[in-house]
Order: sequence, then C-alpha cells, then structure tokens
Amino acid sequence: MIRAFRILAANPLSLIGFILVVLIVFAAVFAPWIAPYPTHNGAVVDFLNNNRPPSAQNWMGTDLVGRDIFSRILYAYQISLGLGLVVLAIAPPVGTIVGLLAGYMGGWVETILMRLVDVFLSIPPLVLAIAMMGVLEPTLTNAMLAVTVMWWPWYARLVYSIARSEREEGYVLAAEVIGASSFHIAFREILPNCLPAILTKMTLDMGFVIIIASSLSFLGLGVQPPTPDLGSMVAEGARYLPDSWWLTVFPGLAILLVVFGFNLLGDGLREILGVDE
Amino acid sequence: MSPVLDIRDLHLSFKGYGGLSEVLHGISLRIEQGQKVALVGESGSGKSVTARIVLGLLQETRTARIRGAVEFDGRDIGAMSARQRAALRGTEMSMIFQDPTSSLNPTFTIGRQFREVLGRRDPGIGRAASDARATQMLAEVSIPDPARVLAAYPFQLSGGMNQRVMIAMALANRPKLLLADEPGTALDVSVQAQTLHLMRELVDDHGTSVLFISHNLGVVREFADRLYVIYRGRIVEEGPAAAIFADPRHAYTRALMDAVPRITGGGLPDVPEVSEDFLAPLIRHEEDAA
Repeated sequence: MIRAFRILAANPLSLIGFILVVLIVFAAVFAPWIAPYPTHNGAVVDFLNNNRPPSAQNWMGTDLVGRDIFSRILYAYQISLGLGLVVLAIAPPVGTIVGLLAGYMGGWVETILMRLVDVFLSIPPLVLAIAMMGVLEPTLTNAMLAVTVMWWPWYARLVYSIARSEREEGYVLAAEVIGASSFHIAFREILPNCLPAILTKMTLDMGFVIIIASSLSFLGLGVQPPTPDLGSMVAEGARYLPDSWWLTVFPGLAILLVVFGFNLLGDGLREILGVDE
Repeated sequence: MSPVLDIRDLHLSFKGYGGLSEVLHGISLRIEQGQKVALVGESGSGKSVTARIVLGLLQETRTARIRGAVEFDGRDIGAMSARQRAALRGTEMSMIFQDPTSSLNPTFTIGRQFREVLGRRDPGIGRAASDARATQMLAEVSIPDPARVLAAYPFQLSGGMNQRVMIAMALANRPKLLLADEPGTALDVSVQAQTLHLMRELVDDHGTSVLFISHNLGVVREFADRLYVIYRGRIVEEGPAAAIFADPRHAYTRALMDAVPRITGGGLPDVPEVSEDFLAPLIRHEEDAA
C-alpha cells in the first residue's frame, strides 16, 4: 500500500490522475452539499436568469431555462460515475468467467465461447449500443445494459489470452499432479495471476465507459431530461455555439477531465501492478 | 508384497491427422517398495509420457490410446475412474518437476501452498496445524529459517530453496511413490547435486519408492538402485544400476554413457544420431550380477 503510493507519487502524471479522480468522486458524492443550486438537478425553470455567461453567481453560466451549469455538472458526474461503476461491476466478472473457461478448458468450450466473443467484437461498439437503445426504451438502466453488453467481450478476450499462457506454466501442471479440480485450477490458481491486468483495464475503462455513455445521451439515447447528463448537456448547447459557448464547453471539459483522470490513474496502476502491454 | 508400481507391456499411441502414431512400444517396468528406479533416455524417448500415464493424466487426453497394464500398489490405474485417479494424486503419489520456481504459483505464499497440499490428505487442516507440519517438513530439507520461507512468495526465494520446498511438499503427505521428472535440471550443477543428495536421504528415511526420470546418466548414478534405459519407446537395457554402470551391454547405453562429460576432458565423443545397433533387443541384467 505504502509502496503503491510512493510509485504513484514518483510519477507526477499518475498523481495528477489520482487527484483528479479523488476530486471528481468527492464532488459527485457530496453534490447536494457542494452545488450552489442543489435544486437545479431537476425540472426547475428560472427564465429571468436564462442563458447567462459565467459570473460570480453562476460560475459556469446558466442553461437555456436558467439552471446553474456548475450544479448540473456535479449531478451529471453522479450519473456518469454510477453508470461506470455498474457497468464495471457486471462486465468484467462475466468476461472473466467466459475467458477463464475458454482459456483453461480449451477444446469445444473454447471454440464456442471465443467465436461468440468474436461475434460481439465484430460489431462496432457504439452501433450495437445504438441498436439496443433503439429497440429498448431510452432510460438509464437500459443505457447501462447496452454498455455492459458491448463491454464484456473485451474482458473475455483479455482473460482468455492470459489464461492460455498461464495454462502452460509449471504451477498449473503441479496443481493437476496433486489432483486439484479444474474449477480449483481455473479460479484459484490462474485467476489470481490475471487480476493485475483486469484491475488495470477496469481503471482505464472507467473513462471509456463514461465517453460511450455520454455519446449515447448526446444522441438522445441515454438519460432523459430533466436529469442532467454530460452528453445531453453538450448536445443541448451545441446549437447555440459559438455565442453561448458556456453551454457546451463546460460539460465538454467535465467529460475531458474525468476521462483524462481515469486514464492517467490507470497508467500509474499499470506500472504499480507490473502489467505489460 | 506387491510392487508399488508394475507396468506390463505398455503401449501408447496418439491419434493425429496422419492416423495413429505409436510412442511407447510395449514397455515393462517394476518398482518395489522403497526402491529408487531411474528411467533414462534422450528427449522424445517416452520418459515423460510414461510418468504422465502413471499419474493418470494422459488417460484423460482424448487423442491418447493406451494399452497394457499399469498397476499401482496392486490396483489397476487403467480401470479407475478419473475421480479415483485424481484422488491418488497428491496423496499416494506425487511429483517433482524440472523447474521448481515455475511449479509454484507466484501469487500465493509458500505457507498457503503448503496448506493446499496438506489439505489433500486432511481436508479440514487449520492454519496453525498446517504451518507446524510445514515447518517440520522444511526443517527436514535443511531449510534454516522455515518461518521466513513460509511467509515468502516463490519469486523471493532462490531456485535451490524452491527446489527444497518442492521436495518437502512432494513428500509432505507421505506418498508411496514419488515421480521425479528431471528434477533440478533448471538449477546449476552444484545446487542440483546438493538437493538430490537431500532427496535421497529423505526418501530412504520415509521408505518412499521413486521413479526418477532423466537423460543424464551421471546424475542417475548418484541416485538410483535400478536402471531402465529407454530408446524410442522401447526399454533397451535394464538391471541393477551398479551392474549396468559396470558393464553396459547395449550399444545405446554405451552411447549414452559416452555422452556424459568427464572432468578429465577430451570433449564429447561422436555419438551417432541413429544407429542400427540402438534397435537391438532388450538386454536384461541378472539381479545377482551386481
């Protein structure tokens, strides 16, 4: 733990990432107390103050119906981070189980599972999500579902390739020789050796999941108004560029910061856990 | 008393794209209680597959066709179910590998891995009991500071230390038969000699039978009571180790012996890759010839 922190501190970029992530998570969790206008996360209208540029009252200006953009960004972070957490709580375990089974068992199990993964990977991710959202109702839950469905195959492929090479290691043969079951070998011997790579990918993926989710709501397929979402806020303001630039630029910057933060942190983590590639 | 291991006329072939290819052409081998038997031959001669058959691992490979009898302690391994064979591994028989460091899982401490091994015989074994037993086993392989080793990860120990840990683990459940597949080939020569010496003392103390697989007759000479020389899936010479070393009669055995480097120098002799003489029939040394 201390060693991990020292490596993090020695690498300024990952330290910046770490600080960014901590700040953003803190801001999202405590949004109701930090936001200057906590009620503005809902259907509030204040036409007297609509479309104002940044000022002392509204640090990032107000939107078309007069809501404080800074407050809405904080609440939008709650949605984005929550969505990312749910996706990363479901997709990696599913992908890991599939990848482990395919990589360790081999044979027809490998053929069936990995061809299925190939089918999923051959569809451009955003297209798959858009198609799913087109069929389903555009809600937050369905957005999570769509992103999860397009995400697990990447974990399956990552874990599969590690499990394939670990299967040839001496300790797997040694475990077979003492009579260990396939289940024990896959989950108790091989899985711990895959964890560093999985953890690193999860941190790096947090940023990408947020981008994809924002892209969905930019297209109007994700979270619906009046709930604030970074993607839909960018989309809303895009029509008023370049005059009302604050409508688009601040939510855009918010996406940039969170993705940037998680990517830097992920790179640092990769170094700490010693994952190659 | 029945022999610990009795292999009679064992044939093995693999089904490939070009039909069956036979790897073992009827080998027979016996190991009595407490005997140390060496199976010697060049790479590809069928040593390791023989060990895998004894362990019951190859029986589960679908492309392998096995014929002949393999009896362990009077029980026919070929007639057992996969579950029964798995129950034998790690309790009645165990194995030591070429590279000790890669045979230990890098993500767990030695103590934890010991607990898994001991749990094979005694499923409910607690941490304290397992550590006590492991400490005792590590002391038997002359590891000076067992507590430190139990808390260490395999990559924190030297190859020689890991080899001793492997020996301790392999003998922890008091198996009847120990299979040693070129143990310590990945280590340097002096460490290898040291650990082999240790292993010999231990198996003598425990009365464990050993099937020692090697290509190096020099190493085997230090270790084995009885010798089987295997060439291309056939046993070509067998007998007490002393008798064979004193009077190697088969052309292939003589070629193998010439291939052991000598400290007096002179370089390696020209050993033919293949020779008609190597295919000469089995030569059996009489037991009393020693």
